[in-house]
Amino acid sequence: MNAADAHGDAPPAARLAGVTKRFGAVVALDRVCFELAPGEIHGLLGENGAGKTTLARVLAGLLSPDEGQVEIAGTSVRLRNAADARRLGVAMVHQHFSLVPRFTGFENVALFNEGAWTPRGRATPGYRAHVEARAAELGLAVDLDMRADQMSVGQRQRIEILKALMSETRVLLLDEPTAVLAPKEVERLLAVLRRVARSGTGVVLVAHKLDEVLSAAGRVTVLRRGKQVLAGPARDFSARELAVAMVGEPVGRDRFSDKISLESDGRESADVVASLTDVVAGSPEAPSLRGVTLAARRGEILGVAGVEGNGQRELAAVLAGVLQPLSGVARVPSKPGWMPLDRGEEGLVGDFPLDENVALALHDEPAFRRGPWLDWSGIKKRTKALLADADVAAPGPEAFAATLSGGNQQRLLVARELDRSKELLIAESPTRGLDVKAARAVRRRLVEFARNGEPPPAVVLISPDLDEILELADRILVLVRGRLLPVGPSDRSATAIGALMLAAGDAVGRR
Amino acid sequence: MAQMGLRIARALQPVAQPVLALAATLAVAAALLALGGHSPADAFGALVQGAFGSWNRFLSFTLVQATPLLLTGLAVAVAFRAGAWNIGAEGQLLAGALAGVALAISWPEASALVLLAATFAAAAAGGAAWALVPIAMKTRMGVGEVITTLLMNFVALFLAQFLVQGPLRESRGVFNMTDEIPAAAQLAPLFPGTRLHAGFLVGLLLAGGLWLYMSRTPGGFRVRVAGASPRAAVASGRFDPARVVRWSFLASGAIAGLAGWIQVAGVTGRMYEGLSPGWGYTAIAVALLARLHPGAIVISAVVFGALGAGGGAMQRDAGVPEAWVRGTEALLILALLAVDRGFRAASKGDS
Repeated sequence: MNAADAHGDAPPAARLAGVTKRFGAVVALDRVCFELAPGEIHGLLGENGAGKTTLARVLAGLLSPDEGQVEIAGTSVRLRNAADARRLGVAMVHQHFSLVPRFTGFENVALFNEGAWTPRGRATPGYRAHVEARAAELGLAVDLDMRADQMSVGQRQRIEILKALMSETRVLLLDEPTAVLAPKEVERLLAVLRRVARSGTGVVLVAHKLDEVLSAAGRVTVLRRGKQVLAGPARDFSARELAVAMVGEPVGRDRFSDKISLESDGRESADVVASLTDVVAGSPEAPSLRGVTLAARRGEILGVAGVEGNGQRELAAVLAGVLQPLSGVARVPSKPGWMPLDRGEEGLVGDFPLDENVALALHDEPAFRRGPWLDWSGIKKRTKALLADADVAAPGPEAFAATLSGGNQQRLLVARELDRSKELLIAESPTRGLDVKAARAVRRRLVEFARNGEPPPAVVLISPDLDEILELADRILVLVRGRLLPVGPSDRSATAIGALMLAAGDAVGRR
Repeated sequence: MAQMGLRIARALQPVAQPVLALAATLAVAAALLALGGHSPADAFGALVQGAFGSWNRFLSFTLVQATPLLLTGLAVAVAFRAGAWNIGAEGQLLAGALAGVALAISWPEASALVLLAATFAAAAAGGAAWALVPIAMKTRMGVGEVITTLLMNFVALFLAQFLVQGPLRESRGVFNMTDEIPAAAQLAPLFPGTRLHAGFLVGLLLAGGLWLYMSRTPGGFRVRVAGASPRAAVASGRFDPARVVRWSFLASGAIAGLAGWIQVAGVTGRMYEGLSPGWGYTAIAVALLARLHPGAIVISAVVFGALGAGGGAMQRDAGVPEAWVRGTEALLILALLAVDRGFRAASKGDS
């Protein structure tokens, strides 16, 4: 555990000093400092979008920082690509593996490793034995003769790790390596990583599951919205403290809770417009939803908190009626409103003008048909009304959706979806990437929408942003690993929900 | 005022690209002609004379050559609009021609109207059937349609060779071609004394119909959404884009099949191996030059038809080998891609 101390005098295996990385207007990393000692396992924690993967990619040479310095083994370096980083001994295991499906494990390991091939393209004699020896040394149980596309996720990951560690490696970066693994495989992975660290390699473990990180990491760094908010030895922090650091302190946002307890009685008998019962959905081998039950009632905003990748996309798709459950019962209204996560790709068609984007939701409504024809003038009129109503800054209905800013795209999407949904609206991270003003406008629209209407519709708000959930939702569920955990009124705090989100606080959920 | 200018610029942009590409092509072609020791002025003069020199030349050569390009161009555009990369118009054209000819020569006693309807239906069905194999492979096995449609072209070519050398060979048994189709199945000239046949009108009507369908109907709108963003189509919850793509693909094959039969019924009167000089491939350029717009495809088909018709005249009158025309067609495609890339880069630079 304290391998770091043993290498105390050596320069850090890797260091970031004041690194800033921007994507357009979004600051993914904001003057972040990060230090990785040789031989340590360093847990890198944060919510989705906190900047973890960006940090790892900067270290791996996949992104170049806008400001700040990258040091490898005490030398300041400029990494132009992954090959540069690889030469300096930095290897990364990505969230989505990069194995050639039709190649065997051995072929995949050999593929990008110099020394594996003779100039004539044959495998170097003895390389196979070398690979086997290395796998044994690391305690990696791999089948080198199995084709990658026949391997389980865990097996593929081990091949990926072996591939990364075949040559001299100072820094091993693993991006969410545990997200795809069963608990038993997680244990095995952590055992391997401990062994790797003991040999002097610095290991960066990017994760959002606290318990796993705490059991393996010597030190932790927490990022929140691109900023480093906490760093130090893992043993100095409780899971709860880390959870709070990741999701932020609760600041007077329980103001809705009084109202909820007052109104909840009246809601008990309200109409259920959508209900899921024991819904299992996703791929048959590893379903993303594993027995989800919920009911969305009129006049209520149902908040679904949780870190992305825990079944959020599938939950939205099932509610929207575009994904059929593998088992269980989904009773959903036909054609509900849906603000999908990826508004540029799913919500809107960038190459289409705004009126055609509005038509996307309206084109099969009798009101916008004239015999066999689409009533474009009616659609245009409706588009203008929506643009004005939602305060969208756009030259007119002819403007192309792709030319609008993210905030204006979302305003239009909100207006369109609110306009068409009378029973149910599904909002996925509706304010992601928006500036404060636009986010506030979108939130206000959602609340007004759920409160008004005769009868009022139901809103399901799926968001990893706890502030948003706490501010808007009447009732909160947490989606963790494909299951929903209820949040009682007394647990309406960022700390309690954060702990649930990170699956570090099962006790809270059971209480 | 600036707003106005912007609006005009935006309205002109779709036209600007093809026009710029054409201009660039002519410039490069002129330079190459000069390098090759030919006078560009003489060559272009002969080309224009050959294509547009008289009403009869324009109708009997340019428009006759434009007809199969117009139809296959529309076929390609229908598939491309939906995001299905149908490279198989050539094979679908041959399949349609074979189906129409087989029906026409085996049913000589049918009346003109019945035969006309039946052969058109058979040709459309033949072309659609030829598209069905790639569609099924795409749907069932996830095989990319670019490869399968391309390969099906060769299957169609060999099938045509086999049939005109064997079962469908003319009764005299001299040449590798079918008997002449009955007069009742042939398309009459539109104007006495010219060779322009009713097939061109069919192409115009189809272009107009597709234009209306794509821009004014819910069905056409769905085709465009499915092609532009299948994910947005799914998320809209309104329709299944995969289904729309399959139907567009099928329609594309049917239109290409019609093109083959119309060529036989309007021009050759018989089916033979070399019926198509590669219209199904040129169609891709025709459709792309028109940016898949059905109305613009009429113009771009006429441009390519003029190149084809004028090419012969250029060879005869200016001594420039016809291969130059084929080269010019290829240049046009390259110029189009370059201009498109240029526009994209420019618009990215703005934002």
